[in-house]
Amino acid sequence: MEIIILPLILSLLAAFTGSKINKTVWGLLSFVSLFAMIYMKQHYAIHNDGIWHNTFDVPWFSNGIHFTLGIDGLTGLMILLTNLLVPIIILSIQTNNQKSLIPLILFMQAALNGVFMAKDGLMFYIFWELALIPIYFICLLYSSKDAFKTTIKFFIYTFVGSLAMLASLIYLYLKTENHSFAYDELLSVQLNYTESIWVGAGFLFAFAVKIPIFPFHSWQANTYTNAPAQGSMLLSGIMLKMGLYGLLRWFMPMAGESIAFYQPIVVLLAVIGIIYGAVIAIKQNDLKRLIAFSSLSHVGLIAAGFMTLSAVGIQGGVLQMFVHGINVVALFYIVEIIETHAGSRELSKLGGLAKFNRLFAAIYLIIVLGTAAVPLTNGFPGELLLLKSIFDYNTITGVFAGLTIILCAVYMLRMYQFSMLGENKTSLNEIGLMKMIPLIILVALVIFIGVCPQLVIDQISPSIQKIMLEISNSKGVLS
Amino acid sequence: MIGILIVFIGAVLVLFLGLNKPEGGMKTLSSLVLFLAGMMSLLESLSILNFEKLSNWAPKNMIDFSKGDLMFVSLLAFVTAAIIAIFPTIEEKGSDRLGLMMLSLTGAFMMIGADHLVMLFLGIEVLSIPLYVLAGSDKHNLRSNEAAIKYFLMGAFSTAIFLLGCAFIYGGSGSLSLSEISLRMSIVGHLSEFPALIKVGVILMSTGLLFKVSAFPFHFWAPDVYEGSPNKVTTFMAVVVKIAGFVAFANYLQAFEALASWYSKWLIILAVCTIVFGNIAAISQKTVKRTLAYSSIAHAGYLLLFLITPMKANMWILFAYSVAYALSTVVLFYFNDKYSTKRDYGFGMFSGLLKNNQSATILMVVSLFSIAGIPVTVGFTAKYYLFTSAFEVSPLAVCIALLGSAISIMYYFKAFKPMFESANETNTNEAHSGKIHFVVYLMVAASIVFGMFPYLFERCF
Repeated sequence: MEIIILPLILSLLAAFTGSKINKTVWGLLSFVSLFAMIYMKQHYAIHNDGIWHNTFDVPWFSNGIHFTLGIDGLTGLMILLTNLLVPIIILSIQTNNQKSLIPLILFMQAALNGVFMAKDGLMFYIFWELALIPIYFICLLYSSKDAFKTTIKFFIYTFVGSLAMLASLIYLYLKTENHSFAYDELLSVQLNYTESIWVGAGFLFAFAVKIPIFPFHSWQANTYTNAPAQGSMLLSGIMLKMGLYGLLRWFMPMAGESIAFYQPIVVLLAVIGIIYGAVIAIKQNDLKRLIAFSSLSHVGLIAAGFMTLSAVGIQGGVLQMFVHGINVVALFYIVEIIETHAGSRELSKLGGLAKFNRLFAAIYLIIVLGTAAVPLTNGFPGELLLLKSIFDYNTITGVFAGLTIILCAVYMLRMYQFSMLGENKTSLNEIGLMKMIPLIILVALVIFIGVCPQLVIDQISPSIQKIMLEISNSKGVLS
Repeated sequence: MIGILIVFIGAVLVLFLGLNKPEGGMKTLSSLVLFLAGMMSLLESLSILNFEKLSNWAPKNMIDFSKGDLMFVSLLAFVTAAIIAIFPTIEEKGSDRLGLMMLSLTGAFMMIGADHLVMLFLGIEVLSIPLYVLAGSDKHNLRSNEAAIKYFLMGAFSTAIFLLGCAFIYGGSGSLSLSEISLRMSIVGHLSEFPALIKVGVILMSTGLLFKVSAFPFHFWAPDVYEGSPNKVTTFMAVVVKIAGFVAFANYLQAFEALASWYSKWLIILAVCTIVFGNIAAISQKTVKRTLAYSSIAHAGYLLLFLITPMKANMWILFAYSVAYALSTVVLFYFNDKYSTKRDYGFGMFSGLLKNNQSATILMVVSLFSIAGIPVTVGFTAKYYLFTSAFEVSPLAVCIALLGSAISIMYYFKAFKPMFESANETNTNEAHSGKIHFVVYLMVAASIVFGMFPYLFERCF
């Protein structure tokens, strides 16, 4: 509860004080949620036994609908990601005239924490929608061009998705014995095959739009490109993970009866997305657009790994969720710095920036290598596990999914080469130390997780085993 | 009973005290009277005050306010008080407008409490006749005259059909009292087929009421009438008439509960058509008022879904939805009235609002979210309750309704485009700088509070 209330209070404070207080102060203040979260995690999940512990529980709408928050390894990792990235995102704000940006980001933090901790179907839906509102306004208010058109497309797309999820949740709710939205009650509903396909379709649609999986991705590129850097960071760094988290925590156990039906479809679409996103990323000139498509590609790999329903795939996927969040936020941060300090984010206008700031170039390179999954960076272990699981599931699919490593190296190195090396087309202004500190934290994480990924996997594996048990309990198939 | 008396006496007082005087002074009096009526009814409904004697004085088989009915009475009284208080005073002489509005409200109360078809008919007439006058009260505006004549013709027509339906039902059941009919129907239901007379009667009466609540296929008058009438009257029509119409609809259909499986079949189809039509037609509208008119048609569609659920135990859901609908609709009509200029009735009237008036922006955003059904506003909770209860009867219809509310985003959010796209705009819009009435703040606050603590509705009933 603390980590939902704290950002909300900060958000209100920030809204009322306006731009009187420096953004750095807010950035540092928002670290408080991180400490609160770590304290809470110590307090509840100290045994790390995979059980989703209740941390807060009061009746809300009625007796069947509670305000329940839970924490386990998976949730813990997700809220760690959220509360770690949000302060960095706030510190990345470059100008002082976007005065409603900080309150919106803090509000978003509260909603995201709610999504990951919600242990009640309706509450999950409500937080899911609440997380959409601030990001909608961030994009609408500070987008560079066509703000209304891109954001309304994004909003309606995701809103239709979440309404489909609401329909599925209501269906499950009416099927429970004493009409309850509690996670365990919803889980214990036994559906027949046809029902399960429909319920699954509702969930899957909501998550597929958010992730996004291949045919539902058309909102993504424009939104990412036009959104302010902070919006892109929130969207790709944390909000995408909502979809993946939902897939793992809600779709797979709830619609376990029909998961055999959806498994080949989702894996196929995800693999198409991997290659499609990567190929388009290679051709991009706009750095933000490039990252948007690379993100489509990476996330497709995670979704495919989840849907192989193997412990390896899910572990790798969860690890990769955390890692992708760090990497993509770092990349957008770098693009933001390049745009403000070199005046452009188009590859054709950049070049030879490395000699202006060696430290920045080194950081940039490490992040690029991390995204391209070079061993000893954080991208490697997750991607290895994911590819292994897809190979085990189906060799041909695995081969196609494996192309991602090559293609990713192509577009990432191309991005680095054309912006930092070669002929000098523009100059990079002096970058202040305060702006580098968040990047240095992120780089430290890239290397740290690359060297000892087991620390993260140990945290999540008990809860993943529990989720897999739940899927197999509902007559699903497990490989 | 106390509410209807206070409002009626207040109406007569306002009518005569304010004759040939400007609206100013009477405005405070009438909103205070309405507030008092609402408060009394609320306290009576919560069993804090008791007006047993007063109620006994009225003929029980004609009009009888249950606890739930009293909640609706107090809601409508509060809403009308708010409408009268927040809309700007008309400079011309004519406090009779306020009196007429209160008289019309009396009719709405009669419809809510009616336990007899004659009383229901009287209620509809008392509600409608002052409204025909009010719709044309902007005398020098041709649009307003058009609205008045259109509303009058449609209203007279629909009332006639309604009356014909009453006659058929009397022929089929031998009684005009709703509780009596309900009793006979449940007995007949076990013995034999229902007489066709009753089914025809139900269809005709429903037709009359569908006209009043502007549901498909009897909705076509609504956009023109709403657009032509003065803003204050439009708001009253969109909120009070619609809510009273649905409460009356629900009350009278409950008497025919034995026929539920029959009438829900065609009600579902009508509901779906209303939702689809209202939402799709609203997208292409140019003026704010017409958009809101079509949005109110779409909301009539959602409310029709309520009629197919088991109503007796669920009246609080209708109440929750009414609260949600009333709060956001009144606020949106208020801003439409405040910012529309002589030349601009379109969404352009909100251009640069964020720059000029931040609190107005926040109020509008919350109201738009509420009417679109986005959490944590009361609009979401009401829709959630409504859809969940209708889901058990017809999942498909609810899925279409959900899709409809997704479509509704397209036209509700149209207002955001001019509101937030103000980067290159340097001139400040004079109209935006005015102060906002404190009641609007209260209403928006209420829509968040009810959204966060929705169990208040269930407790009150």
